[in-house]
Amino acid sequence: MIRKIIASYSRVPLLGWLLGALAAVALERLAGAPIANFLGLQKIPVLFGLSDMIKSPVRIPNVIGYLLIVYAIPAAVVPRICISPANGIAALLLRYPMAISAAVHLGLLYAILHVWSGISDYRVLVLRLTLIAVMLTLSLNVVNGYMGEFSCSHPGFMALGAYCASVLTIGLFGDPEFFGVASLPEPLGPFLFPAVLILGGLLASVGALFVAVPSFRTRGDYLAIISLAFLFIVKSLIENLEFVHGSRGLSDQPDWAGLPTVFIWTILCIWSINNFVRSTIGKALNAVRDNEMAADAMTVDTRRTKMAAFLFAAFWAGIAGGLFAHVMRYVNPGNFGIQNLAEVLAMVYFGGLNSVYGSIVGAVSISLLGEALRPLEIFKWIIIPLLLILVMIFRPTGLIAFRDLDVANLLKPKRQPGGEA
Amino acid sequence: MVYFLQNLVNALQWGSFYALIALGYSMVYSILMLFNFAHGDIFMVGAYIGFGVSTALIALASMGVVAMPNWLILVMTILFSMFLTSFVGVIVERVAYRPLRNAPRASAAITGLMIGIILETGNLALMGARRISFPSLIATATYDIGGVFVTNKKIMIVVVSLLLALALHQFVRRTKWGMAIRAMAFDSAVVPLMGVPLNRMIALTFAVGSALAAAAGILFGIAYPVLDPYMGILFGWKAFVAAILGGRGSVMGATLAGFLLGFTEIFVAMIFPSTLRDLIAYSIILLILTFRPHGFFGEPYSARLRL
Amino acid sequence: MTSPLLQVRNMSHDFGGLRAVSDYNLEMGSGQIRGLIGPNGAGKTTVFNLIAGMYKPSEGEIFLEGVKIDGLPPHLIAARGVGRTFQNLLLWRHMTVLDHVKMARYSKIRYGLFGAFFGTPGRNREEAEIEEMAVSLLERMGIRHLADQVVLNLPYGAQRRVEIARALATEPRILLLDEPTAGMNPEELAQIMEIIRRVHGEFGLSILLIEHRMKVVMELCTTIQTLDFGSVIAEGTPEEIQNNPRVIDAYLGREGAV
Repeated sequence: MIRKIIASYSRVPLLGWLLGALAAVALERLAGAPIANFLGLQKIPVLFGLSDMIKSPVRIPNVIGYLLIVYAIPAAVVPRICISPANGIAALLLRYPMAISAAVHLGLLYAILHVWSGISDYRVLVLRLTLIAVMLTLSLNVVNGYMGEFSCSHPGFMALGAYCASVLTIGLFGDPEFFGVASLPEPLGPFLFPAVLILGGLLASVGALFVAVPSFRTRGDYLAIISLAFLFIVKSLIENLEFVHGSRGLSDQPDWAGLPTVFIWTILCIWSINNFVRSTIGKALNAVRDNEMAADAMTVDTRRTKMAAFLFAAFWAGIAGGLFAHVMRYVNPGNFGIQNLAEVLAMVYFGGLNSVYGSIVGAVSISLLGEALRPLEIFKWIIIPLLLILVMIFRPTGLIAFRDLDVANLLKPKRQPGGEA
Repeated sequence: MVYFLQNLVNALQWGSFYALIALGYSMVYSILMLFNFAHGDIFMVGAYIGFGVSTALIALASMGVVAMPNWLILVMTILFSMFLTSFVGVIVERVAYRPLRNAPRASAAITGLMIGIILETGNLALMGARRISFPSLIATATYDIGGVFVTNKKIMIVVVSLLLALALHQFVRRTKWGMAIRAMAFDSAVVPLMGVPLNRMIALTFAVGSALAAAAGILFGIAYPVLDPYMGILFGWKAFVAAILGGRGSVMGATLAGFLLGFTEIFVAMIFPSTLRDLIAYSIILLILTFRPHGFFGEPYSARLRL
Repeated sequence: MTSPLLQVRNMSHDFGGLRAVSDYNLEMGSGQIRGLIGPNGAGKTTVFNLIAGMYKPSEGEIFLEGVKIDGLPPHLIAARGVGRTFQNLLLWRHMTVLDHVKMARYSKIRYGLFGAFFGTPGRNREEAEIEEMAVSLLERMGIRHLADQVVLNLPYGAQRRVEIARALATEPRILLLDEPTAGMNPEELAQIMEIIRRVHGEFGLSILLIEHRMKVVMELCTTIQTLDFGSVIAEGTPEEIQNNPRVIDAYLGREGAV
């Protein structure tokens, strides 16, 4: 019986699931507070109730009740009843260029995130930081997963992007004393922000050259060491530059990294990286990883492949850094040290190597878990490492490794049971 | 000139810590092709165990249970802590690395990193955030040698470190376990076929490496009596770089590289403002690795931390 | 008189103090199948590695269709028409069969990084062409049904075919086959020999074959070179080689010494 029910869900297209999620968050927005009160909770559980369950375990049944009523039931019921219309719409959309269908789905996704986070500022913050984590994780996965290397320099790239973007926005739009130049007009700001971020990304790519050129000439574990040295160098460089206030950090970046902005950049990141790794040029990374000599013999320009991937990954880490600086509106060198390295490595290896899905899952899981476990304070840093060790022992390449993200497949209507169109 | 010699003495001391820690990294890497990222935290654990042992011994001595001069307490602290910490290393290997023996090495490296974090957090949870002071076991005596001030502590640290490195060298070259370890460094697949118990040898390697790190921890505690749970991060990662510089499988190489790193940091701080220390020291190392990636001794690292 | 397809002149190579290959010469025209035999350690794979560009020869020159190729990076030499397979089947563990063959089309790709990142129509079109070509190549090798399998899971005989298909996808003018029948049972052996004949016939390739099995070499090759300690000790037709005392000595002499 249960199997039949589960099997019937295989006919739900992505559109159906999105509609279900939208129904759930809409319900929460409209009736969340009264439902929470009815269930004996003082207010809406802010992050899926995980922290509430930890803070007062006696309320666990209440929280679970809330999760069931507000999230689980709409998310389960709506897709099921909408199977036919959803499949119909999905098929209809695909009659136009795929970009249209993708845009509709993305719009829905954004709507879900927007409505969900409308309840509290804290949610908006967590959501933005999680999206940034996705970008970081995915870009590191390109090097550590697809290319099979072990790079420790991502926090350094992030730092370069963060500081470059911050210096530009503060200098040009914030503090007139910074560059000694009068500020540019305010309204121009948000339009120049993408350019500023891109410059940060490019600076990160330039930094990547300093790591790539020495390491790629030799075989061995040198990338690990050289990238680590790079990390220390960048951190120390920033600490010593009075221009960027050294260890005290830079603050009061303009508030331009709102949810829509971060969302769009995250989607661009996922899209471009996914395009890259699915192309033959991108798959060359796997060939270089699995056997470089054979790749050479099969006409693959291994040097160009490694360089391009590494610089591209650094670029996105730089963009993520720039966004991070403008979400937190404060950066200091301490943000980009060994702790950051451990976090981002954890997200990559937890989620799964060589997989876009894996990076998204890893980033979201670890970020949300990290936030939810805050009440436990330092024990958070025992639980999360333990969790990762367990995953490493039982699934050494991560939860969802080596899985392709096929956008066309994702957007298709699912007519036949078993998920075929 | 005096200034230079003074710094030389400091550099020798500073380098001793790096050398002892680097040796542990180097040994594990030689046989398992694996960087044990928990090693720096084992240094920290060793220091704390040393704190515990010495405090206990001092208490026992002061209660009159045993009569022990301070120098004896020191020696016993070092020996006993090395012994206890070696168990920590063996446990780490058994719990985190052995299950991953056949997994991609990157996964094992990440596991090590996580173990390190657990050790730090565990320490923080147990001992709280306050800093611990290592008990003073030696009265500081300063000798003035031609204008250069050398404390007895500094001499002891350097001497003990060199002795330990020498002992390790003899162990690896002369004993049958040492020979087994060297054999494993060449080809770990074949060694069990020769009747050598692989698991036991690997455990031994971790034990020895951890013991050395513990010694470094205690010596550090003597020189700089304030301990904190994150002290391993500071030294661990840098000693890791030294291990690579030293070349694979070479005791001499790791030792020399550790001292070189110490020298570089101290002399850079001598010439430039101290905040630039890391920046310049690591840039120098980056340059060295660019032009001589094989390190100084031992064989070049020839495999990748790959899937 | 047509210029030879591949010309190797006075090639020697040292590894440290050891001279692995000594004064090797070769002239191959198009459409020929030639063999390279010799005891283990004679330097046969080293010759392949030198021609394919994995190492730059210490001495000597290599010309492909009249153009000097020694010293070029291996991927460029491969793009110019030197295809090869490996004695130890250097396949890419985590990739599918189809991806192996598609990867070998790398040098023919025109769309560049921009197309790769942004999924331009040009790139989509080229990728479709690559896929089509790869599928048809798998079809000709008789392994089309294995296209989406990860090579790790395949039986040895199928893996060998993947390797050959992959090499063929580079559109080589000459194919260097390094012990293609190693480890095969008689049935697989016959199939591989058939594939080699077909590849030679249908694709019009020149083939240089390293082999230990005399049967294969005698049946397929028109001329054979014998290598011992890095030098060519005999060159001729299969019949001549079979009866050449130096060749017999090189093989049997080694056994006799043991």
